[in-house]
Amino acid sequence: MADAPNETAEPQVPTVEVGALLPRLDRGEKVLLLDVRNDDEFETWKIEPHRPVETLHVPYFDFIEDAEASIAKIPKGRDVVVLCAQGGSSELVAGMLQEAGISSANVKGGMIAYGLYLEPVRVPLEAEAAARYELWQVNRRGKACLSYVVVSGEEAVVVDPSRHVEWYQGFVAERGARIVRVLDTHVHADHVSGGPALARALSVPYFVAAGKGFELKQPVTPLADGETIRLGGATGVSIEVRVLSTPGHTPGSTSFLVDRRHLLTGDTLFVASVGRPDLGGHVVEWGHALFDTLKRRLADLPGETRVLPAHYGGIGEISAEGVVWGRLADLRRTVPEMQIATADAFVAAVRGAVKEPPKAYAEIIQVNLGAAASEEKISEWELGKNQCAASAKKAAGA
Amino acid sequence: MALKKLDVRGAKCPIPIVKAKKEMDTMAPGDQLEVTSTDPGSVPDFQGWVKTAKHALLKEQRMEKDEAGKDLYIHLLERT
Repeated sequence: MADAPNETAEPQVPTVEVGALLPRLDRGEKVLLLDVRNDDEFETWKIEPHRPVETLHVPYFDFIEDAEASIAKIPKGRDVVVLCAQGGSSELVAGMLQEAGISSANVKGGMIAYGLYLEPVRVPLEAEAAARYELWQVNRRGKACLSYVVVSGEEAVVVDPSRHVEWYQGFVAERGARIVRVLDTHVHADHVSGGPALARALSVPYFVAAGKGFELKQPVTPLADGETIRLGGATGVSIEVRVLSTPGHTPGSTSFLVDRRHLLTGDTLFVASVGRPDLGGHVVEWGHALFDTLKRRLADLPGETRVLPAHYGGIGEISAEGVVWGRLADLRRTVPEMQIATADAFVAAVRGAVKEPPKAYAEIIQVNLGAAASEEKISEWELGKNQCAASAKKAAGA
Repeated sequence: MALKKLDVRGAKCPIPIVKAKKEMDTMAPGDQLEVTSTDPGSVPDFQGWVKTAKHALLKEQRMEKDEAGKDLYIHLLERT
């Protein structure tokens, strides 16, 4: 371990990073996950590997109250991975288990680290397209948030970045390219966008359309409906990203059509649902706009268009390639809200189906419009999974 | 009956409960301990702990602000 030198004389508890643990769990490795958070935290937000993981829940304060009885609950001879909210309590428990002769490791940073972890997944492209660009779907597993990196030649755009902006800078630099523009599909309500900070750090244009009723407090380089952005630079290859205004989830919601075949829809259309139009207090107006977008604006696009959304509802929505995507023709047939024939029936359906709003969504919207907030507050608001779809069709395994 | 105070401002879990338990172990039945924490997570955690704690009752939880306006979470425990 290349960690900072130990300041205390206490023995080191083995640690495992979220980025190393998740692929092991995804492969189905037989570890025992010991979750030591309190009951509420455990019930409301769990790690979701691609395969089920055996999980035991014993709160850390039980270990403090009665170490012996709590340790006795842990089966012997297993590899135990201990998880808590921030990594402190799990470190204590992992240490107790180690002392009791049970092989255990602490998940570094706990659920906070899980909520921040980004997994890049390369979207498979046909050979002709792959020669001109790379499309990466960046999966923020802990929040089921998806952002995108499009690289063509020496230029890249980032769409809907999470707030760990250094990650995107490093990722694009590794591909030998530079970020020339940062785009947000909409003013997010469930997580704080990294868009403005990323654009500022690189001195490149940032785009988001807030729409009627919202006051943006930060500089934006506007893009018109139908406008195209060309990527490639002086390398001889290039692609176009077309701007499509797709209001409904928010009045400013925008989709980006990459190379005429990949539609980054934001929260307009997911692979199993549509975006909820109720987060601004204008559910009828926004609901009608969303219906119009789905039925008319997107009607011109070929069925072969691949939809790549900003969220997913559960691991059942992740394809065999590891990508959350769907053919537009399939989604027109399978997404329940896409089957509704009239705008009024659509609005009634999405109104009836919506769940609790995302935690602190009003505050998060203000920050994404440009208001300041402390890292501590943002971290607290962002805990938990997204609630951005109008309906939660129970996805397999979710 | 004595009232002791424990200041765990700035500490995150598991420290507030580790320290509270240690302190409570030295106290006599009926004595009270007032814990001042800045960690919002301490609120459900103290509630959870006293469910299984053999010698601790949670008498009261309240929120206050410090001089800088920062939220404080105050837990009043009683040794049983």
